[in-house]
Amino acid sequence: MAELEWKPLWNDWCPGCGNFGILNAEQLAIQELGLDTKKLVIVSGIGCSGKTPHFFRIPITGVHTLHGRAITFATGIKLSNPSLTVIVNGGDGDLLGIGVGHFVSVGRRNVSLTVILHNNGVYGLTKGQASPTLKRGLKTKSLPRPNINDDVNPITLAISSGYTFVARGYAYDVKHLKELMKMAFSRKGLSLIEVLQPCPTYNDIFTKEYFDKRVYKLDNLPDWDPVVRREEEKGEKMSKAILKSMEWGERIPIGVFYRNDLVPSFEERIAESAKSYKEVIPAKARIEANGSPTTIIEDILKEKEV
Amino acid sequence: MRISWMIGGAQGSGIDTSANVFGNALASLGFYIYGNREYYSNIKGRHSYFNLTISDVRARSISNKVDILASFDAETVFHHFTDVTRIAIYNTDVVNTSLYNVQSIEPEVAERVGKLLEEKGLEKSVSGALKYMESNGVKLIPVNYDEVTKEVAAKLKVPLSVAERAKNTTAIAVSYALLGLPKENLTRAIERTFKQETFLKLNEIAVETVFSLVRPEFSLPIPGKAKRRIQVDGNTAVAMGKIYGGLEFQSYYPITPASDESTYIEAHQEVWYEDPKTGDKRKRTIVVVQAEDELAAINMATAAALTGARSATATSGPGFSLMAEGLGWAGMNEVPVVVTFYMRGGPSTGLPTRTSQADLKFALNVGHGEFPKIVIASGDHVEAFQDAVLAFNLAEKYQTPVIHLVEKALANAYSIIDVEELGLEKIKIDRGKLITPSDHFYQRFAFTEDGISPRAVLGDAFMYYTGDEHNVLGHISEEPVNRTKMYQKRMKKLETADREIPEEERIKLFGEDSRVAVITWGSPKGAVLDAIDELERRGGLKVQVIQLRIFSPFPSRLLKKLLEDKEVIIDVEGNYEGQAGEIVKEKTGIEPTHYVLKWNGRPMARDEVEEGLLKALNGERRVVLNGGA
Ligand SMILES: Cc1ncc(C[n+]2csc(CCOP(=O)(O)OP(=O)(O)O)c2C)c(N)n1
Ligand code: SF4
Ligand SMILES: [Mg+2]
Repeated sequence: MAELEWKPLWNDWCPGCGNFGILNAEQLAIQELGLDTKKLVIVSGIGCSGKTPHFFRIPITGVHTLHGRAITFATGIKLSNPSLTVIVNGGDGDLLGIGVGHFVSVGRRNVSLTVILHNNGVYGLTKGQASPTLKRGLKTKSLPRPNINDDVNPITLAISSGYTFVARGYAYDVKHLKELMKMAFSRKGLSLIEVLQPCPTYNDIFTKEYFDKRVYKLDNLPDWDPVVRREEEKGEKMSKAILKSMEWGERIPIGVFYRNDLVPSFEERIAESAKSYKEVIPAKARIEANGSPTTIIEDILKEKEV
Repeated sequence: MRISWMIGGAQGSGIDTSANVFGNALASLGFYIYGNREYYSNIKGRHSYFNLTISDVRARSISNKVDILASFDAETVFHHFTDVTRIAIYNTDVVNTSLYNVQSIEPEVAERVGKLLEEKGLEKSVSGALKYMESNGVKLIPVNYDEVTKEVAAKLKVPLSVAERAKNTTAIAVSYALLGLPKENLTRAIERTFKQETFLKLNEIAVETVFSLVRPEFSLPIPGKAKRRIQVDGNTAVAMGKIYGGLEFQSYYPITPASDESTYIEAHQEVWYEDPKTGDKRKRTIVVVQAEDELAAINMATAAALTGARSATATSGPGFSLMAEGLGWAGMNEVPVVVTFYMRGGPSTGLPTRTSQADLKFALNVGHGEFPKIVIASGDHVEAFQDAVLAFNLAEKYQTPVIHLVEKALANAYSIIDVEELGLEKIKIDRGKLITPSDHFYQRFAFTEDGISPRAVLGDAFMYYTGDEHNVLGHISEEPVNRTKMYQKRMKKLETADREIPEEERIKLFGEDSRVAVITWGSPKGAVLDAIDELERRGGLKVQVIQLRIFSPFPSRLLKKLLEDKEVIIDVEGNYEGQAGEIVKEKTGIEPTHYVLKWNGRPMARDEVEEGLLKALNGERRVVLNGGA
């Protein structure tokens, strides 16, 4: 039964693509954490980055969705079955262009998900148009003229939208990126990992050479402490993180910008008003027995009785 | 016995509550009611009204002509005076109000009414309208609301501004007293509604005062009731059906007239169920998410369905437009997701709070590319309940999106029904080929004879989903032979559904085979059936009514057989194109001979449908209805 066997798709990313580093780090993080891969769902958008789940070399479950909508799918999966670990892989165009509404909205909810943002500055799969993270005045290879849009800063946006873990990694520092992922995958609440992802085919500015020279680790700063430990620290930690997120040029920081585990996750918020949410997984509730409904609607009928 | 009653007033002034109290009081005496609520896309100040039909047998439609009009403002009189046949209750305070002094009235209404009063040589004021009614034999009942208010204020020792709130109750108490019904039932209905002491007292005193002033005009035999009854509107009927059918996840973005369904579910997010393993009564949670838009709503619901949750969303035209891409993904990935589509007037925001049946073809053709969708249209509140369960069953059985069509005309209308009509014991749950694979590696999209693959849920096995064309594993595949097979597999499911769902369940027939057939679907059903009863009663005319209930897969064979020998086929529906008629023609080759259509945003009423059918029978090919204010 060879057909029945699980197998990855042949990886069709361009040679040298930063996505390979992201995929490697993600697989390693999952393996090192010993996550039950059957309870793991990788949800992706559309773009080169969107193919990530298909290219896993370990068995996982992948849901390759619509352009910009991965977060909405991930939310539906997580909330109906909170026992699953749900990770989103999406492009910068996907998450910050067409899907930016969801990117912001999920922040208000703090759903327990990890969003991995493949930031390559371009729309890879549609042949190199400017992405929302490309700075004004820059002209990458396939742009007919320099970009006249300003850029969105994923870190700043995530912090101000309510993400409770916000970090940046670099695709070619797999070890460091993997550690960020491990932190994110094993926590409650919403995490963003922005990954600086060179696209050797279309982005001739933000190349490996460009980043190799510039990235440095926040961890190496003597007094960098991004963690909110008390409610009162929130404002200060947030502003420091936002300020830091604006550093871009000769030096580019990677690492954890902000972390606040004090905010209740969306699952916890639901359970607060519906206790049974913790006891019975909605997706696993037995709604039927011998072909008949198990739900009792007596109370509901009574309310409407005349 | 059948009486139609209407109350009107400014939106936000408590009309809904009063109409409900009135309805409850009547229901407690064993009367059946069908009621419709009309309102502007506005929160406070514009004209809204309730139109009820009260009957000793099951009521299923409204009438544009009303026996009793209850009013306390001038605008209500201006909107409805031409439709009153027997009694008009009016406020003595507004008699001199001129048509042009009512700020909130739409200019077109003022112009139309002004013209009519002028033609009749009447004053363009409430008094003119009253004279108009009087000359038509309508009995006028003047009510000095201020006096009642003063009396209430004095008795309760509250300021006039507080006592004012009893105005609504005064209007319904007058109507109720005119009907000659026992006061206690009204008092009890008031007690059920107003929990707050002052309001309760206020309303009770108003009732006392009214009863001491008003003489009955009717003496209705009180039917009494042997059976357990409920009062349900369309939103609640669907919500209850979904809950009973095992709903576990519902996402939505607020939109009229859909959101009340989701709000109701959220208010009942924890439901009791009997754990089949232990027999214990336990609670489970229905996750309700107010999404950021309808793109999120459909995709969240679709994704929840991948985990095995029975999941749904509810929306209206503008939201459904946004859901098109998401529905395509669900179709491509064979996901059992249900969309309750409450139709309202389009295009664009159109008539946001008014009814429509113009989205039938859109529902059938939503999304790019070809994929199977099942489309169900409910014709009344009982069907709305049952179809909500059916929608889940069909979605899971055929692993494809189901669109459940309901209209504003059902959503915001209510019926009093016998609980037994719901047929609770007969309701089944069919989860289709839902499996827990023993093998971790399984083919989500395995080819099968009927096109339906065994379905495992996320977390129970490794699997892939993608909106790209895919192979049996769910991996992207652009290979032409696989494309042909996989495409065919998906489409085949609709053929399987067409084979398996009895055509008799997709069409409902009323009346004997006859040379005249009326085709209809959705909310006009009740009005059509009542109109035909009336025509048959008066003229001995025999008509067969064909209600189309499932549009996809379409019951082509049975319908063709039914229509083949008909001489006259009248299509009654709420749109311009006669969309169902066109579909009938496409699927059976037989075209309706006549059309009775309506697209003014107001529900079809039995009296106008009756007139429309008569015109059609007299040879008018295309009758356009325009009733309702
Ligand atoms: C609704 C919709 N519009 C447009 C597209 C075409 N499209 C495919 S990928 C893509 C951009 C991808 O860019 P990004 O999200 O940055 O991902 P990358 O390829 O760079 O990883 C676009 C616009 C689409 N698939 N769907
Ligand atoms: S186009 Fe760029 S992002 Fe896409 S695979 Fe090639 S290198 Fe990677
Ligand atoms: Mg990109």
